[in-house]
Amino acid sequence: MSGAPVLKADVEVDRRDFTVRAAIAVAPGERLALFGPSGAGKTTLLEVIAGLVLPRSGTVELAGRILTQTSKPRVAVPPWQRRVGLLRQDPGLFPHLSVRANLTYARTASHRSGIGTGPAAGAAGAELTEVADALGIGSLLAAMPARLSGGQQHRAALARLLLAHCDALLLDEPYSGLDAALRRTLTALVVRLVTQRNVPAILVAHELADAQAFATRLAVIDHGQLLQTGPPDRVVLRPASVRVAELTGYLGFAAVPGKPGMVAGIHPDRVLGGAEPDRGLVLTGPVATSRPAGAGWEADILLPGAQPPGSVVTVRLADRPGADGSEVTVTAIDAPLFSADGLALADTSAPRRAAGVHKLAFEGIGEGNGR
Amino acid sequence: MPPGVRPFSAAVSVGGAALIWLALLGPVITLLTHLSWHAVGSALSYPGALDPLVTSVEAGGVTLAVLVCVCTPLAWMLARGRLPFQRVWEAGVLCSLLLPPLVIGLLLVFMVGPYTAIGGLLGHLNLSATNTFLALVIAEVYESAPYYVVGAQAAFSAVDPRLEQQAELLGDRPRRVFRRVTLPLASPGLAMALAVAWARAMGAFGAVIIVAYHPYGLPLQIYTTLEQTGLPTALPYALVLLVVALPLPLAAYVWSARAQGRRRG
Repeated sequence: MSGAPVLKADVEVDRRDFTVRAAIAVAPGERLALFGPSGAGKTTLLEVIAGLVLPRSGTVELAGRILTQTSKPRVAVPPWQRRVGLLRQDPGLFPHLSVRANLTYARTASHRSGIGTGPAAGAAGAELTEVADALGIGSLLAAMPARLSGGQQHRAALARLLLAHCDALLLDEPYSGLDAALRRTLTALVVRLVTQRNVPAILVAHELADAQAFATRLAVIDHGQLLQTGPPDRVVLRPASVRVAELTGYLGFAAVPGKPGMVAGIHPDRVLGGAEPDRGLVLTGPVATSRPAGAGWEADILLPGAQPPGSVVTVRLADRPGADGSEVTVTAIDAPLFSADGLALADTSAPRRAAGVHKLAFEGIGEGNGR
Repeated sequence: MPPGVRPFSAAVSVGGAALIWLALLGPVITLLTHLSWHAVGSALSYPGALDPLVTSVEAGGVTLAVLVCVCTPLAWMLARGRLPFQRVWEAGVLCSLLLPPLVIGLLLVFMVGPYTAIGGLLGHLNLSATNTFLALVIAEVYESAPYYVVGAQAAFSAVDPRLEQQAELLGDRPRRVFRRVTLPLASPGLAMALAVAWARAMGAFGAVIIVAYHPYGLPLQIYTTLEQTGLPTALPYALVLLVVALPLPLAAYVWSARAQGRRRG
């Protein structure tokens, strides 16, 4: 169906230091999080979709319309005809216009984004009130943006995008400057609205928690390369490579006893104190340092099989570990395994078989430790 | 810090600021104290005494119109880095800012005088850029343009390009974005740049005395009066110059302050 607002981008973009290569497709109502370290090329990708940056090669397609195409016939739809909404960390409200004039900006634009999908002129006022009330800024319409708090400015910016009836929503770490509670509220609000409007949405995040709170699908990007895409829990629990594991919070890697060349990723949150061989990989070593972390403790353990050799494995424990130098035994639950070349041993595209492989591997480890 | 030191140092800094302010205003204060209203009345009641005023205001108005039409786009392109070799363009503007007006006048004679290519071209159109209203405008444009370009460039640079991007993404083509976002946001700064340019145009003397001795504007009227009849008779024209040149910058200042205030809500 040509009218369905599916967003597709398959592009190569030259940056000063590397080339960003990515192919993504986002379905209506789907929420994709582009997750990766700062400078990985995430924002560049959004800017290519928005038409602010031209790719060296590739295509961008939205709702059956080709927006960018570098092969012949060349297409480069300008930003004002794309109907793509972009929200950045700076809410970007026009400081010389009242909140109301900001919200209705798109309706009076030269290319009304709402053509076909927007309400008739008469219903527009009602829609403005409805959206503003839903976002809790109904009483602020007459105010100037400078009078609004940070959270209110972000709500107004979101309302402005909704009233523009964009076919896709791009969010470039919009809430990373706000405190955690406000960030949660606003993220939940965006999630609800994306579902309601049934448009594809992409969030760029360098904090995993932000990406997880938003996304139905997670795409890990590093140095311009798309490393792995999948449901957020799956990407975190079954990273496709050591690099993805590092980015998703695995703070240590350890050789698996009895399996030469095999490395297990240890996530600090997925560790139990004590030996529980039937639940995962049992690891023993002296505590290098420990410190309080949240309601529990964080300990760096010197494991004989740590990779690279001599490095520590960081774990979080409910109970306070012994003094530095004392032996501690922990169990890494269902740790993902990697081969020497840094790739996951599990086949990420076939989850069931992968799970089987892991079970076998862990049975082996369990026996090894039991003896 | 012992009590009493803070109020003391505050008083010293206010006193120092007041001193500097008064020193800067010194010429204006002197002008007002040395004028007798009788002298003003008699000087300005001569037939044709106000002609230089009319000439100055007309030439200043045309100069501003030329600056707005020609230099605003240049300032915008400089601010947005739309030109190749940005630094070269900026250095060019600075060069014309650094040339003393008298030198500009001399060079204008070689550039648009009657025996030059441009002068010849103007001659074909029955125009002349020597001792005419056109010459006066040209001299004033050259004296004031760099001030306007530099000020307007700063005004445009202060507008966040991301706001313009946002406006484009909301469906406005660039020309409309300029009208609805860039121009309103830059306008307080543009008004101040225009006010400075106006003051330069009104007071233009160095280039004007070389290429446009006639028709007299106010600065030349002051100079010739001074030469012919002495200091006291020149002062009334100085007052007129102040009174005529001041309202526009003042209005621009008040207006831009109010625009900033509106934005703060």
